[in-house]
This record gives sequence, C-alpha cells and structure tokens, in this order.
Amino acid sequence: MFADEALDTVSVQSLWRKSHEAAQESKGCQTQMFHSAESEVQVISTTISSTQTELQEQATEQLIQQNRDEPEPPGLKDFLQQVEDMVIRELVKNVRSHAFDGFQASWEDHSQRVLLIHSLQHPSAKEKGLHVTSVSWSCTGSVIACAYGRIDNGDWSNEKSCVCTWNLDRRGLHPSQADLVIDVPTAVTALCCHPCQPSLIAGGLYSGEVVIWDTSRTQDSVVAQTGLSADSHRDPVYQVSWVPLQKKGEFGVLSACSGGRVLLWTVVFEQGSFVQKAAYAVLQQQVPHSSSSFKARSNSTVGITSMALSPWDSDTFLVGSEGGLLLRCSFSSQKLAATAFEGQNATLRAPAVFSFRPRSGPVHSIHCSPFHRNLFVSGSTDGLVHLHSLLQASPLLSLRVSDSYIFQVQWSPTRPLVFAAATGKGEVQMFDLSHRSLRAAATIEQGAADQAATCLAFNCQKPHLLAVGKTDGTVNIWQLSADLMEQSPREISQLEKIANQVAE
Amino acid sequence: MTEFSLLSPIQGQKGVQGIIVANSEGIPIKSTLDNSSTVQYAGLIHQLVMKARSTIRDIDPQNDLTFMRVRSKKNEIMIAPDKDFFLIVIQNPSD
Repeated sequence: MFADEALDTVSVQSLWRKSHEAAQESKGCQTQMFHSAESEVQVISTTISSTQTELQEQATEQLIQQNRDEPEPPGLKDFLQQVEDMVIRELVKNVRSHAFDGFQASWEDHSQRVLLIHSLQHPSAKEKGLHVTSVSWSCTGSVIACAYGRIDNGDWSNEKSCVCTWNLDRRGLHPSQADLVIDVPTAVTALCCHPCQPSLIAGGLYSGEVVIWDTSRTQDSVVAQTGLSADSHRDPVYQVSWVPLQKKGEFGVLSACSGGRVLLWTVVFEQGSFVQKAAYAVLQQQVPHSSSSFKARSNSTVGITSMALSPWDSDTFLVGSEGGLLLRCSFSSQKLAATAFEGQNATLRAPAVFSFRPRSGPVHSIHCSPFHRNLFVSGSTDGLVHLHSLLQASPLLSLRVSDSYIFQVQWSPTRPLVFAAATGKGEVQMFDLSHRSLRAAATIEQGAADQAATCLAFNCQKPHLLAVGKTDGTVNIWQLSADLMEQSPREISQLEKIANQVAE
Repeated sequence: MTEFSLLSPIQGQKGVQGIIVANSEGIPIKSTLDNSSTVQYAGLIHQLVMKARSTIRDIDPQNDLTFMRVRSKKNEIMIAPDKDFFLIVIQNPSD
C-alpha cells in the first residue's frame, strides 16, 4: 500500500543579489600626502618653587597698610555726599520699622530633643573600674580624647591607666574600641588638646608629671615629659592648659597642682623636654584680704583644684582651691612668694591679685565666658554654681544645680546665656539664664544615678555635640537640641545687663 | 582705620555699628571697624553686590541696582553701590 518516494529538491534562486551586483561599481579614494617632521625639545634650565598659605591675620594686615598711605581717591567726597541722604533715610526708616518683629527664617531642622549619639567605652578600663577624669575635643572637632583615672582615690597608687581617642567622623567607629590607646603609668588627672595642632595632647598625671603626647607618632607617643624633679610638681596635677605665648603661634603649657604651685612650661620638641618659664606659688598668707573673715594665716600652700584662663585678657588666670578659695591671678605679678620650696630653681612668685568670696567646699571647676570679658562661672561641692564678675567679690547669681557635688561647669560656645554643669548624680544640667525660672533648661542623664558625671566638654567646631564622662568609664556624646544651640538676637545685651548688676 | 569726618552724619544715626567705603574692586578705603572685619566685609559684600547687579540686569537690561539691604538675625547691612565706590553700613535696628 505505502511505498517510499524520493523527490527532487526544489530551489528558488535569489534574484535580489543578482540585481544588486549588476548595479555595483568600485571606487577608491585617498587623502593627499601628509607632510610630517620630527623634532625634540629639552628644558635647558630648571627651578623649583613651592607655595604655602599663611595664617589669615598676616595677609589682611598687609592689605590695609598699603591703603593707609595713599591720598584720598578722587570722587570719594562727591560719592559720599551723593549717597548720604539716601542711606540716612533708610537707616531712620529701619529703626522705626516693625516689619520684621517676630519674624524668623528657619534654615535648619529644629531638633527639639537632646539625643544620645554615641556611648564610648574602653573595655580594659571598664574592667579595672577606672573613672573618666577628663575629656577634651581636638581643635578640628572630630576627635575626642578621654583620660582615665580615679576621682575617689586619696592614696598613691601604682595603677596603670590610659588615654583613649576616638575619631567620631570616621565611618568605622566602634564605640567599644578606641582608635588610639596610649598607656600611662599612673592615673591621668587632667587633659587638654592643643588649640592648633590636632595631634598634640597635654596631660597631667596623678604623680605630678606633665606629659605631651603626639598621636601622629606610631611608636612612642610621648613627645615631652617633665621628670620628677624638684622644679616640677609633686602632687596631682589637676589642670593643664595650653597658653598662647608672646610669639604668635607658639604655645606653652600651664599646669596647676594640689601642692599649690602653678607652673608655666615651654616645650622643646627636639629634645623632648620642658623648660620652666615661670613658677607661681599660692600661699595662705599671701591670699589678698577679702571682705569675709579668713583668720587662718599659715605658711601652708593652697591646694589648687581648678584653673581657668581668660580668653579676653592674656594676663589673667583664675584659680580655685581645695578650701573653697577663688582667686584672680596675674601672670605678670612681680611679688615674690613668701617661702621657697626646697630645690626650686626658678624664682617663685605670688600671683594672687584679688580674692572672691570663698565657697564652702573645694572648687572643682571654673570657666570664663567666651562672650563677656568679666563673667565666669564656678562650681563646687556644695551643689551651687556661682556666676561671678571679675570686678566684684560677691557672686552675681547663685544657682542651685543639684544636691550633690558639681564636678565641672562650662559655658556654651554658641549661646552666651547657657552653661552646663556635670553633677555627682550622673546628670548634666543645662541652665539658660534668659529663662525667668531657676530650674534647669535641660537635664541630660543616662544610666544609673549612682554613677557621677565627672567631666564634660562642648565641641567648639561642631556646637551641637557635648561629651560627658562618667565614673562607670563611659563617655557619652550627646546631640543638643536647637534651642540650646542657636543664639537669639538679644542674648548678648541680656548678658551685658547681667554682668552690670551690682551684687548685694 | 581712622574715622573720616564725612562719615559722621551716618555714624551718628541710631544703631549704626560700622561703616566701610570700598572701591569698585572690593578694596576698603575708609572704615570705622577693625582691620580684619573690614577686609572680610569688603571682599564678601563686593561679590554679593556684583552678583545682585548682574541678576537685575539679566532680568531687564535697562534696569540697574540702586540699593541693597541684607537683613540677618543680628543686624542689617545696607549697601549703596556706585560706579567707582560702594558704601556699606551695618546697623542693629533693635538697639
């Protein structure tokens, strides 16, 4: 039925290709001949030159100088006469206008709350139960340096401690792992970062030594160290500060210890040593008479627990003592100290010029206002913060901050009327003097109430940050709310009014 | 910089904090403020005035800048421009 068939293939020829091939032609073209030549060049003489920016102030001064000597440019008088009327009209209108009363442009997000951003800890310090004794921000505002030690230890101890730094702007920030840990043989009682060079940190130790560390060095961070000589401190150094010296750009270190001496050192970086430039001793009998009675006139020294430099007057510094004395001192005082310390080479001077009304407990902290040349705050163990004027012995204002000790007070770098106080209950109370009430504008606390807040530092480059160190070894970084940071227009005049009050 | 007697009627107005006269390149000629502030104000405001002037003229080439007032939180800056000079007055109106 079915059989295989084999069929021929059928194919269809392409017509398209043939038609195209019939119409094709070949053509060629070529550019004209290139003319080329070779040549070589070599520099005969070379020079090297480099440039660097200078500090801002020098440049502007030169610019003004060259204009002073030139004669008045022609047309200046005519110009001024021409615009005078219009400008005066506008000035007068502006003073009378109410157009902008209560108007405020909001440029930034107004954060209403204070937030905890980081909680930094060093595990080995926490294991040993060390307290944070001092925090300091670097001059760039990104690095926080923390010193560990003890605040409750009255005895000599051989306990090693450390200084840790964290860079908050780094992406890989580990709250439990410090970027840099510097081991220190004894407890560190004071810390201060250099105001221009971000890598230098000065510290005061429990043994009385003053050390400078350079965090950019990989090997041994210690750049300079005062030895334990007769010239240097022999008691815990409670405050170190960088002081601008006569020559611009140079800084010396001022250290104050509980042995009653304040020493000014200059650093010789190449030799890694300190040179003592000036020495001051505060003695009981040389404290200037104040209005209140102070019967004890002994030969003993006054243990210094806090010191502050005035940013307005390079000659003044303030000193607070263990007995509650608050003194205004002068660098240029020529009065000699009544007793000499044994082995002291440099002449000791008595710096105290004026004494304020004494407090009833050790003065743990003094800070001069960055907005007014005469104001400063002092905090002591009686739980009160006193606002003083440099011109009067009695305080202008006395605020009860807490029921426990106050370890540190500091003015806010952006708001003239705000200051913060670190208390023994672990809270940081921020007060705003523009508020009528005497209660705190903000209370910042975290953690258990039995851990005291021992130190705090505002960040001058980034004013929304506040670092607080506590006795449990943690350093908390807080972001402040907008109303604690932004200056309102009338604050400086309010501050002036407060400063001009006469204390009763 | 020393005070200039022609500036005194303006200086005497209420709330005036400072007066600067600068030339058309932004270099201060006379001023009642300290050196560093003067140079800073003159340089920055010169740039601002040039920008404002070019803005006005771009919108309408027949128009030109006659006066500028910049109001900030703390004070108000008034600028009177001219071909060869400009006058800057800083006033705190709430004083």
